[in-house]
Amino acid sequence: MKLSEIVDRLDLSVRSGKEKLGEDVTGGYASDLLSDVIANSNEGDIWITLQIHQNIVAVASMNKLAGIVLVNGREPEEGTLEAAEQEAMPIMVTDMPTFEVVGKLYELGISGTR
Amino acid sequence: MKSMTLEDVRRVLEAEVIVGKDLLHRRVKMGCGSDLMSDVLAFIKPASLLLTGLTNQQTVRTAEMQDIVAICFVRGKKPTDETVKLAQLKNIPLLATRFRMFEACGRLYTEGLPGDYEATESG
Amino acid sequence: MNRDEKITKIQELVYEMKVQEVMRRKVITVGPTTQMSELREILRVNRISGAPVVEGDALVGIISLEDFIKWLANREDDCPIGAKMTRDVKTLYADEPLVTAVNKLEQLGYGRFPVIDRETNELVGIITAGLVIEGLLRKLEIDYSEEEIHRYRASHIFEDILADRTKLLFEYDVVGQDFERAGESASGLKTTLRRLGIDPRIVRRVAIATYEAEMNVVVYTPGGKISCEIDPEKIVVDVRDSGPGIPDVEKAMQPGYSTAPEWVRELGFGAGMGLNNIQKCADEMVLTSDVGSGTHLKVCIFTEQGRGS
Repeated sequence: MKLSEIVDRLDLSVRSGKEKLGEDVTGGYASDLLSDVIANSNEGDIWITLQIHQNIVAVASMNKLAGIVLVNGREPEEGTLEAAEQEAMPIMVTDMPTFEVVGKLYELGISGTR
Repeated sequence: MKSMTLEDVRRVLEAEVIVGKDLLHRRVKMGCGSDLMSDVLAFIKPASLLLTGLTNQQTVRTAEMQDIVAICFVRGKKPTDETVKLAQLKNIPLLATRFRMFEACGRLYTEGLPGDYEATESG
Repeated sequence: MNRDEKITKIQELVYEMKVQEVMRRKVITVGPTTQMSELREILRVNRISGAPVVEGDALVGIISLEDFIKWLANREDDCPIGAKMTRDVKTLYADEPLVTAVNKLEQLGYGRFPVIDRETNELVGIITAGLVIEGLLRKLEIDYSEEEIHRYRASHIFEDILADRTKLLFEYDVVGQDFERAGESASGLKTTLRRLGIDPRIVRRVAIATYEAEMNVVVYTPGGKISCEIDPEKIVVDVRDSGPGIPDVEKAMQPGYSTAPEWVRELGFGAGMGLNNIQKCADEMVLTSDVGSGTHLKVCIFTEQGRGS
């Protein structure tokens, strides 16, 4: 499923990386521990997290993740946005908490087991 | 609003019950997945199930403060002995599933357990 | 608990508890080809009054002591259990509420029901009236001992004390840098407030604010003191530490602002939400800090009574 479709269906607000919304999302990963994401996420995953500092962009680019969704109404820090634009990493925000964002993605067929 | 028993949670997540085998009839009204206890302390509602990848004692302390029904550790993580002891003392059930956070939340949600956003929105 | 309360409690439990909580998991079964003459020994040795009849994995019938006595009384020839068993077996699902079992036991007059797993259709246990009673008593006892803990709660303390003004004061010492023990003060305070019979919603707010404050003392300072003063109108939590102090209190109050070291973040704290959360829980909050000498936090939460006046 394309990232743009997810943005529509979940009513997410895009904060960066608009040019990459046509990319495919092939799985999902939810975690707030960077070490965990580095170790266990897969290329093409959409990452759901509460973390907003700029390290998230580095982690997401390294693992070639499809995009980052910030939950609970969190906004990316300024440095995070700059880094995201540089790396062309889509960052989206929502008021929903992790549990529901994941639930809705799961219903769209995005899986967490790979 | 749909709720689930811990027995349902155990079944859906194919989870192991580490503490509270006799408490599986307790009901959870919503789910919450987080690895940041500061956030759990700020946002979670009572009668929630907490899904987390953290296994230190502070997860149980947080559950205690917030009147959380039970904790389920994800990604096959097992709690430390101290965490287990504290949970026994505080009568807080601990479950452990091999599923990752994403899969665990997804499965519970599709089985009808709401998150706290929807649960609160709909009153 | 008085008598009335106990009866409602049992009624509540019959609805709340599930068949699987009281059933016996170890089920003695017999095969349909076992001879009736062998049945007596099986029942006697296992001290049971009936058994499900199982062929392979499938439940095909049930045989009881009554069936055996009837067979004996009729002086019939020996035959396989399959010929004398009841084929139309009434079963219960493991996840059904206990009340279903109680009703079925009463209405159908059977002494036992095999218990089936709803998904796998496998025989997972057996339930009898005796097991239901046993399960309920066990549960009541657990709940009763939990109740016992609360029996000495001093809910009426403020009514019992005759004074123009009454205040209770609790103090807790917080050890800095000891992440393991962090939260003990908040936990102790929470338990104490519950015993005093204070509204659980108020207790929860006090507990969360205290826990966050305690966590700050543990993470950033060599230690401190938490005191909690309670009167009928309000609960005031006062946290003092001898830490490095906060250079810019206003900045520290911004959501997400944090100076927490990485080890604290990996443990799930230090996301810069603590002070905001304290503020969210508090009716009044005052934070003062002197760099080099420490920080003083005062949180006030009104009780129902205090809010009314």
